[in-house]
Amino acid sequence: MTGILYHGQPNGPSFTVLAAAFEKGVDLDLRAIDLVAGERHSTALPHAIEVDQSIEGEGPVLVVDGVAMTDSVFVACYLDEVGSGPAIRPADPYARWQMMAWCRYVIERVAPAAAALGNAAAPPPAVPAGIASADLAARWTEAVEGKVEESRLTDSRTKIVQAVEKIEAQLADGRDWLMGDFSIADLETHGWLAGMRAIVPDAFAAAPLTDAWEARLRARPAVVKALGLATIPEPEAIWAPGPEINRWG
Amino acid sequence: MTDVTLYHWEPNANSGKPMLALFEKGVAFDSHYLDLLNFDQHRPDYLAVNPLGTIPAMTHGDKVLTESTAIMEYVDEAFDGPRLMPADPVDQWRTRWWMKFLDQWLAPSFSMIGWSVFVGPSVRQKDPAELEAAIDRIPMPERRVAWRKAIHGAFSAEEMTESQRRVALGIGYLEQALGQREWLASDEYGLADINGFNLAYAMPLSQPQLCNDELTPNIMRWLRAIYARPATRACWALGRTDLARRISLLESEPA
Ligand SMILES: N[C@@H](CCC(=O)N[C@@H](CS)C(=O)NCC(=O)O)C(=O)O
Repeated sequence: MTGILYHGQPNGPSFTVLAAAFEKGVDLDLRAIDLVAGERHSTALPHAIEVDQSIEGEGPVLVVDGVAMTDSVFVACYLDEVGSGPAIRPADPYARWQMMAWCRYVIERVAPAAAALGNAAAPPPAVPAGIASADLAARWTEAVEGKVEESRLTDSRTKIVQAVEKIEAQLADGRDWLMGDFSIADLETHGWLAGMRAIVPDAFAAAPLTDAWEARLRARPAVVKALGLATIPEPEAIWAPGPEINRWG
Repeated sequence: MTDVTLYHWEPNANSGKPMLALFEKGVAFDSHYLDLLNFDQHRPDYLAVNPLGTIPAMTHGDKVLTESTAIMEYVDEAFDGPRLMPADPVDQWRTRWWMKFLDQWLAPSFSMIGWSVFVGPSVRQKDPAELEAAIDRIPMPERRVAWRKAIHGAFSAEEMTESQRRVALGIGYLEQALGQREWLASDEYGLADINGFNLAYAMPLSQPQLCNDELTPNIMRWLRAIYARPATRACWALGRTDLARRISLLESEPA
């Protein structure tokens, strides 16, 4: 059965899942929704726990045989299992651990920072109705009212600077892709960082390896195809509330 | 003979996840116990293994691994023994979804409560200058903040209320999921259960008004079933404190 993918503009988690589906040649019924207008919370979408409580925030939803899947890295792992295209995860267990640990770092440290900064730069117009998760609703309110504390934005900029430093270090041995072979880590990292060039330009001021890596990534046919789904000139400037900034450490 | 070393604290939370996965797989390992309350995880010999100064970490030959959930996936893939990640791709997705939800949403709330009622009070009586020096040695700024708050009892009423709200909701979600299938993420025991058990085994004691035979029969069934496994017994035997001994409450029969 063909899965249905509800996705936003090709930025952040929607970018990861769209590009992964194209990389793997998985045929999906693509349904663009307006994440910034809160369409993910409408009755047109399924509302299982895994949709309503996804801590990724406003990300894509893949429905296959009645099961609604969220959280882009894990949806991409699913697509890797079922698709016929070349693998987007390393086969060796240790290399796979490296990829999962890298993605965990992006999910836990980079994504919340990028989402906070992105929403502060381009606040959504209104809090949509029907948000099941109280903490996600609170992030919407903060974003709409522009109430995120300055200290958090400062810390978020630091997180973006550190992320680019980490990429430069990772690519320093001359490899083309973050894990050696192309993988989900490249997609997820780019998905969250693409919009940060305009918002934290200093982070990219002296990052030639990152520049070249992004250029390689954006030249891949699957990535071109994902970005081609944008209905606006700069999809990386579109934000809706994402994962929360770690409240425990 | 083994070339696996696990650096861990009590069989509990993040430490307990790779411990229990190793026991379930039947992988022999050298146990390197770090006393979290004695700040062993911030000493130079351990920082040489994990520069972030958090527990657990595992070495396999010359490979070093951190991040408890990612370590569990590695243990499952790198060693023989019963498969702990389900075979079906949707079940794999669900396993990872629940592990992330537990790791990044529910566990931090339990931690905040646990650190305020247990970890903070356990170390507070030490010499203040010694404590400050210990905190200064912590590599991650986020962890320095958490330790300061725990030691000085400085969690705000607002953040404690939010943690308690999440604990109550999270228990409800677990009960709902375990009402739909026998195990958390699939029809077979696996990584999501190992992860969840480490977070949830003491809930009937710490949250008795929310987690009990009457209100959450499926959680209680699930906890008792995991407690009955030989690997769980062997794993919890490595505990040295009352924290790990809380598991004995699962010996009780359903009410
Ligand atoms: N994401 C890491 C978190 C590790 C972590 O924070 N561990 C806690 C113990 S459960 C710790 O080391 N705390 C001691 C400290 O921060 O000093 C993992 O899952 O392994």
